[in-house]
Amino acid sequence: MAKNKLDPDKWVDRYADYLFNYTIVRVNDREVANDLISETFLAALNSMKNFKGDASERTWLISILKRKIIDYYRRINSNKGKAEVKVTLPDGEAEGEWLEEKVADLSDRTAEDEMENKELGLAILDCMDQLPKKQARIFKMKTIEGIDTEAICNEYKITPSNLWVIIHRARTFLANCLEKNWF
Amino acid sequence: MSISSLLGLKCEDAASYCNKAEYQEASFSDKVKLRLHLFFCKPCKDYNHKNHKLSQLIKKADLKSCTKEEKDLLRQRMETQSETSK
Repeated sequence: MAKNKLDPDKWVDRYADYLFNYTIVRVNDREVANDLISETFLAALNSMKNFKGDASERTWLISILKRKIIDYYRRINSNKGKAEVKVTLPDGEAEGEWLEEKVADLSDRTAEDEMENKELGLAILDCMDQLPKKQARIFKMKTIEGIDTEAICNEYKITPSNLWVIIHRARTFLANCLEKNWF
Repeated sequence: MSISSLLGLKCEDAASYCNKAEYQEASFSDKVKLRLHLFFCKPCKDYNHKNHKLSQLIKKADLKSCTKEEKDLLRQRMETQSETSK
């Protein structure tokens, strides 16, 4: 198998959106996310000689990004007072209280749901990566950025019926791609 | 709208209306034709269902994309870095 090569000039076009989605759900702040991504790209530029070509470019970038995100949380945690977690262990003395405290809180499902959404977002992007470049771009503009049919047609010099054919192909592919795990 | 144009809808056109409906761009008559076609055509009905599910998933994932300005800024930062390291 051919070794993977690095092509920094294409990084922003190819991976910025993927890395952005990966980061935004973890730090929840656009500006911070963008800073972390640019730090990642810079760190990657500096350590290009360490890239062995075993992993794909994107996997390698994600591994750097992960460390940047961890660093970010360390940084903000050392700035503020140390977070304190208090756990009250019921000692069984106070009658009638201990049972409620031990029961799992069923309303606390949001964390799990969010995690699922994180994976879903990346799964969709993964499937989108497999589309032909122009198809993916047009689908993204139409579906995620919500750009008008007319504006897209003007930019790509296509007719609306061309556009709908492209959208149809993209949607059919994506539905099949996601079907196994998400439908 | 004659009966024959309603019943004679090709699956290809039904798919197109179905896609447009997902983007709220189908007209009322498109939607009527589609509904009627789906009543008779199982494959299109399945496609319609899958297509709608896809929209829901995309909505649920709440995908973000970098704006052009943000991407330009990323490029700019990378360029200054590679210049200073030369």
